[in-house]
Amino acid sequence: MKNTGLPLRLEGVSKRYGKYTALTPTDLTVAAGEFLTLLGPSGSGKTTLLNLIAGYLEPMSGTIEIGSRDVTRLPARQRNIGMVFQSYALFPHMTVGQNIGYGLAVRGVSKAESTRRVSEVLSLMRLEGYADRPIQKMSGGQQQRVALARALVIEPDVLLMDEPLSALDKQLRRTVQLELRRLHQEHGRTTIYVTHDQEEALVLSDRIAVMDQGRIQQLGTVDDIYDRPANAFVAGFIGESNLLPVKVNAVAEGKATTEVEAFRRTIVAPAAPGVEAGQTARLLLRPEHLLLNETDDGVPAEIIEAVYLGELSQYGLALESGQVLTARRITDRSLRTGMKVSLSWDPGHARVVPEN
Amino acid sequence: MSKLPLWLRIGGNSAASLVLGFLVLPILAVVPASFNKASFIYLPPRAYSGVWYERFLEDAEWRTSLLNSLQVAVLATAIAVVLGTLAAIGLRRLEGRWRAGITALFLAPMIVPVVVTAVALYRSALDVGLSGSILGMSLGHMILALPFVVINVGIALRGVDENWLKAASGLGGGPWTVFRTITLPNITPGIVGGAVFSFITSFDEVVVAVFLAGYSNKTLPVKIWESIRLEFTPVIAVAATMMIVLAIVLFAVAQLVSSGRETPTK
Repeated sequence: MKNTGLPLRLEGVSKRYGKYTALTPTDLTVAAGEFLTLLGPSGSGKTTLLNLIAGYLEPMSGTIEIGSRDVTRLPARQRNIGMVFQSYALFPHMTVGQNIGYGLAVRGVSKAESTRRVSEVLSLMRLEGYADRPIQKMSGGQQQRVALARALVIEPDVLLMDEPLSALDKQLRRTVQLELRRLHQEHGRTTIYVTHDQEEALVLSDRIAVMDQGRIQQLGTVDDIYDRPANAFVAGFIGESNLLPVKVNAVAEGKATTEVEAFRRTIVAPAAPGVEAGQTARLLLRPEHLLLNETDDGVPAEIIEAVYLGELSQYGLALESGQVLTARRITDRSLRTGMKVSLSWDPGHARVVPEN
Repeated sequence: MSKLPLWLRIGGNSAASLVLGFLVLPILAVVPASFNKASFIYLPPRAYSGVWYERFLEDAEWRTSLLNSLQVAVLATAIAVVLGTLAAIGLRRLEGRWRAGITALFLAPMIVPVVVTAVALYRSALDVGLSGSILGMSLGHMILALPFVVINVGIALRGVDENWLKAASGLGGGPWTVFRTITLPNITPGIVGGAVFSFITSFDEVVVAVFLAGYSNKTLPVKIWESIRLEFTPVIAVAATMMIVLAIVLFAVAQLVSSGRETPTK
């Protein structure tokens, strides 16, 4: 059942509820076989976008194409999508096998063929021998796999998953993440995955669409999003970050000259598109990029907190301006609370980003 | 498991038993009464016999009235179950304030005095030629039974997760398929409960039936009511016993269906 699914294309798709805009007009292209994650806080529009693709919601505007088929006005049942729900939505009055075979049964697939495909997907999910179990007798992790099996067995053109791991405990979540990655690598199928958990997104995705306030704030690979965030929201949402308010004096050749109030000095750093001279912006310094020295050519700071995390330690640093930054370094026992240090960083690691 | 003191438990149970006895015993009294040998109702009977049961079955009028009652109840139940289930599903889809208003409308037959409904039905039935017919009585009883179906199915529907329906339609199920394979199996206990209440509502209903029954189409309660004004024979007790037994059987069936369907929740 190797099948990469079909590409997906959205153009100007939007959704409003009365005066509330759930999704501003959005373009999105997903390649066949790609694993794309919609990542954002609740209310960011990610679930709305997923439901629009699934056909559970009708867009106010725009078009949705799966492969070369315009499905904008088609109901969910005619889109050939596989959906995994946050609550799994397994049918309680059916066995595991009946749940998984449901999509085949309503498609009129013969009994023999259905049994064969159900047992095939059961073994793919490592659930052999569970076909006749009632759903209620399955554990949370098993139910999650049944839900995925039910979505996969119909060989969907696009697989949609709405926070499928949020009901599992942390330990199990880690295992299932790796399981999902294995499945996608073996049977790579176009997948749209919704989550608010950045770690999940980083582990699973080919590309991530970071969403906030009903729009995609940035769409890119894990590296793009982490190293080159498009704005302060993305920088703050993915990973840990120090974001300092700055005033932009000039922008040239991708670099911005900025006045950093907190440092009381002017800094030149790579700038994201959208940073303009004369405006305020943010300077992004990741905690792992801050260097703590005992020389005095950097920004003077005092260690006000040292948290030992094992191999790494996290330091709270107070600047003379009163601003507090976070740094994360390989644990160094000589760095202690109350010490004066001087902060520096590789100029390539700082980044000026628009406020939003 | 009770943590109440002993005297309170004993006192409470005794009080409950007294109330229950007060409610139930007068009804159960008709059972021995129906086995009287004499042609007058003695309680307790001086001698027992099943002679009045024979009399009941031999008498064409009694037999017909029983069959009429069964016909009317079956028809009223069938229509009430279909319409009530559709109404409950429709109500669930409505927005808050519309839902409250229209639900009240569906439950109105429970609140409006039955005699008012009966008079209204009497007048309308005359206009459309349904007066004195089985169908007319069935429709009248259907209106009284409808709230029970709407309530029972409505409660059962609350246990149906909207996402099951979304999942089923996403897997390719059309609206009818989804209803038949997902919604219906999960609301069957509610439908059966509604049906039992409907049947009993119709079977022992007398007010609407008195207004709508013709000379030839009396239901059992109407026949009982008419007979009791002419003569006080144990046949009436026989008819009453039959109604009680039927009600008990139906409630037992409803209990079995709903407890058999109960699945452990997650």
